[in-house]
Amino acid sequence: MDVLDQLGSMREGKMSRRAFTKSLLAAGVAVTAVPMGGRKAMAAAEDQATYFTWGGYDIPELFGEYQEKHGELPNFSVFGSSEEALTKMRGGFVVDVSHPCNQALPRWKASELFQPVDPTRLSHWGDVMPELVSLEGNDAGDGKLWMVPFDWGQTSITYRTDLIDVEEESWDMLWNEEYKGKLGSLAAGADAWWIGAIKAGVSFEEIDTPEAFEKIAAVMREQRPLIRTYTDDTTTLEQALASGELVAAMTWNSSAALLKAEGVEVKFADPKEGALTWVCGVMIHKDASKVDRAYDVIDSLLSVETGKFMIGDYGYGHSNAKSFDEFTAEELAELGLSKTPADILQAGHFQTPQTQEWETKMSSMFEEIKAGF
Amino acid sequence: MSTGSYIRKRSRPLQVYAIIFIIVLYVPVLFIPLFSFNDSIYVRFPLEGFTLKWYVELFQRDAVWNSLMNSVRVGVAVSVISTLFGIFAAKAIARYRFPGRGPLVGFIMLPLVVPLIIFGVALLVLLSRLGIPLSLWTVGLGHLIVCMPFSIATLLPRFEGFEPALEEASADLGENALWTFWRVTLPMIFPGVVASLMLTFTVSFDEFIMAFFLNGTQPTLPIYIWGQLRFPQEFPSVLALSSFVIAASFVIVFIGLWINRGAHAGTIKVE
Amino acid sequence: MSDQSLSASTSDPDSPARRAGWFERLIYRSEAARGFSLLAPTLIFLLTVILVPFAILIIMSLWTAVGFDFDTTPTIKNYQQVFERPIYLALLGRSIYISAIATVATVVLCYPMAYYVAFHVHRNKMMWIVLMTLPFWTSYLLRVFAWKVVLGYEGVINSALINVGLIDEPLGFLLYSQEAVIITLAHAWAAFAILPIYVSLEKIDRSLLEAATDLGDGPAMRFIRITLPLSLPGVIAASLLIFIPTTGDYITPALLGGPDGAMIGNLIQKMFGPINNWPMGATLSIVLMIIIALICLVYVFIMLLVRRKIS
Repeated sequence: MDVLDQLGSMREGKMSRRAFTKSLLAAGVAVTAVPMGGRKAMAAAEDQATYFTWGGYDIPELFGEYQEKHGELPNFSVFGSSEEALTKMRGGFVVDVSHPCNQALPRWKASELFQPVDPTRLSHWGDVMPELVSLEGNDAGDGKLWMVPFDWGQTSITYRTDLIDVEEESWDMLWNEEYKGKLGSLAAGADAWWIGAIKAGVSFEEIDTPEAFEKIAAVMREQRPLIRTYTDDTTTLEQALASGELVAAMTWNSSAALLKAEGVEVKFADPKEGALTWVCGVMIHKDASKVDRAYDVIDSLLSVETGKFMIGDYGYGHSNAKSFDEFTAEELAELGLSKTPADILQAGHFQTPQTQEWETKMSSMFEEIKAGF
Repeated sequence: MSTGSYIRKRSRPLQVYAIIFIIVLYVPVLFIPLFSFNDSIYVRFPLEGFTLKWYVELFQRDAVWNSLMNSVRVGVAVSVISTLFGIFAAKAIARYRFPGRGPLVGFIMLPLVVPLIIFGVALLVLLSRLGIPLSLWTVGLGHLIVCMPFSIATLLPRFEGFEPALEEASADLGENALWTFWRVTLPMIFPGVVASLMLTFTVSFDEFIMAFFLNGTQPTLPIYIWGQLRFPQEFPSVLALSSFVIAASFVIVFIGLWINRGAHAGTIKVE
Repeated sequence: MSDQSLSASTSDPDSPARRAGWFERLIYRSEAARGFSLLAPTLIFLLTVILVPFAILIIMSLWTAVGFDFDTTPTIKNYQQVFERPIYLALLGRSIYISAIATVATVVLCYPMAYYVAFHVHRNKMMWIVLMTLPFWTSYLLRVFAWKVVLGYEGVINSALINVGLIDEPLGFLLYSQEAVIITLAHAWAAFAILPIYVSLEKIDRSLLEAATDLGDGPAMRFIRITLPLSLPGVIAASLLIFIPTTGDYITPALLGGPDGAMIGNLIQKMFGPINNWPMGATLSIVLMIIIALICLVYVFIMLLVRRKIS
């Protein structure tokens, strides 16, 4: 077969080679002329630290201090789940600062891809709430600190109060046959599987037993035909909730807060079985090329200015105690937050670290279920 | 112009089909510029009103420009290198007979018939085993694999329609190989070289799957767009940029066509 | 398939290799040497960046993932799993099914278009070709995304239908389905069908058609006996150029497929991402490649057979 022959003539446009190449030449001149304009911006961006984070954290509002100091934003790279992020870094993706959560912390540390953080280099360290620092695997006791806590919150249900009548807020909402095809879920097992555990009544201490796997898999399989889409992208869920394509979805705090701000009638549920709760923070890569600026990124994230945005606009908890002074108790209650993180974190089910084997097994099982097996 | 009259007859149903086809081809693409003027961060109907603010913002968005520049840098490097390699390879294939030529050419063309995800994954495994950090260099390496067959396929017809006697004459007149290449070969294959440069640049500029596996912290434009599709922060700016790219390519192709309107009428007559 | 054609098409009669004198053999040998030395840079580069990664991919497919590390004792456990766990074969089957339908749809829809330009457009042919390929200058990602806008819940089709009054509620099945993936793939790869088919149609000697008419063939017979068989190379090229890359695509299913539209590319990507089972991902890549190669061989063989039968 003369596939190649075909391809060659197709690609080159045998029908009128000269005409084609001349236009290509014109395009070539135009394209090569472009680089001259962009030089300046490029050089500046290369000096900035790279922050590898969840979608939605790559915004200027969180980096006021950093921008003031360096005149530019840090570079961003965005991931959809912390497993995706860890695998990517283990594959040779080198960043300066990254953003795991407490559940993944011991495994991230064990990957030997990170360096301990020196808290004395952080100007806001004194205001960080100590109960958020002493997380499993963070070894704050032996003087070494791996993850600087930044945000905390819940995984729960955001639902349209005008479209569905909810008598009692419960995880059953996401398993309700009535809403078939109008439910959404986060795609990462790091959220969904744990919600499955809550729904199946499996306690987090036993989440690694074979029976727990079976029970959780059963509820996830039951839920799967009801779900319209599994996605890492909170914006997709928010838009679908706003349009009525979805009536309820598993989300984090920010989706509900953003939708409310847009005037969509939604509520961030407080399910009777309890929400899933977590603390996330930032770690510095061992091969970070811009360590000084990495500290500036972290310091900027810890600032009160950033905290105010995190609490007020995103509805997340912040790790800087002073950030909460900007809000009245009523405002915090309205947001479903509290000045004492324990109030919220202990009220729900707090995620606990698991082994890498567990994560791999869970992820592949959940992927199979999502694909319909 | 010896072909008969009946084939040349117009066919009404086919004409209608062609027009519908073109419309279906264009309509989805034209939503991109349409939404770049829409006054909403979300891409959805109904349209909320006309605005130019995304275009204004585009010039303040460093991230977009950085990724554009990264793509241009990778694209220029990849197109130059793969065209250089391509010139040698196409000349060897077109001009010389040597054992194992068929299978070797088949091997070079392999990237055209293997899903790119497999190359991406294979290279990622290799690089991570070697402990090489991912960067624009690794993306460029991946793109070279994709682009080389395109470059050779573009240059091959040029060498095949090229009279070797010209090169021999030059050599007989005492020119050295480099000078012969510069004075004789290059002008002859020049259109092919330009076509190869442009084509490989375009392929690299738009390549996503390999870049997804191989990119480091400096995103190429498709990687940046992918991020924006998943987590739209500056998405309308991306639409604005894409509208620029669409408009620019439309205009350039049409200008090129207009300049050559005499030339290609002739070409078609010959065929 | 490509190798044979190239070696066949280059059987240049005045090649010095055809004669057997020692002197000529020397020239021949030096010609081979010159050919090789010119090809060497490309070949060495491609050998390193294709064969070495592939070798490692194959080796890795024999490993097993243990936590962060790999158990490097060779085992074919991964391959056994591909056949034992239903998900792998099912997703492979689904990918091939979706790509095959998209390929057939693209080729069938583009053939009349290419035919029209090749036979019925006489002035401004180049303009038509540019017109047909221009949309493919836009980013592939954005073209896929554009379909999300068209098919979406608040998208073009739903908005239009509601405005006309045909439906009250938006149709949910348009997006997040296998159909959405097929439509998008067919649109996104149209240029890869139009151009090869056009080139092969354009190559057809018009006097053959005249002859057929003179022998009393009507338009339909003329098409079946002459045009179609002679354009088959273009059809085959187009099919392969679309089928192979789309089988491994994962952007389109990720953005438009929903839970039922996921393809093998998505799973491979996840093996190297969130699932973190690189050896299994390597195994799936290799199995995918073998299956595609087999399908293409069978396809080309059948098409050649068909071509011989018709003519």
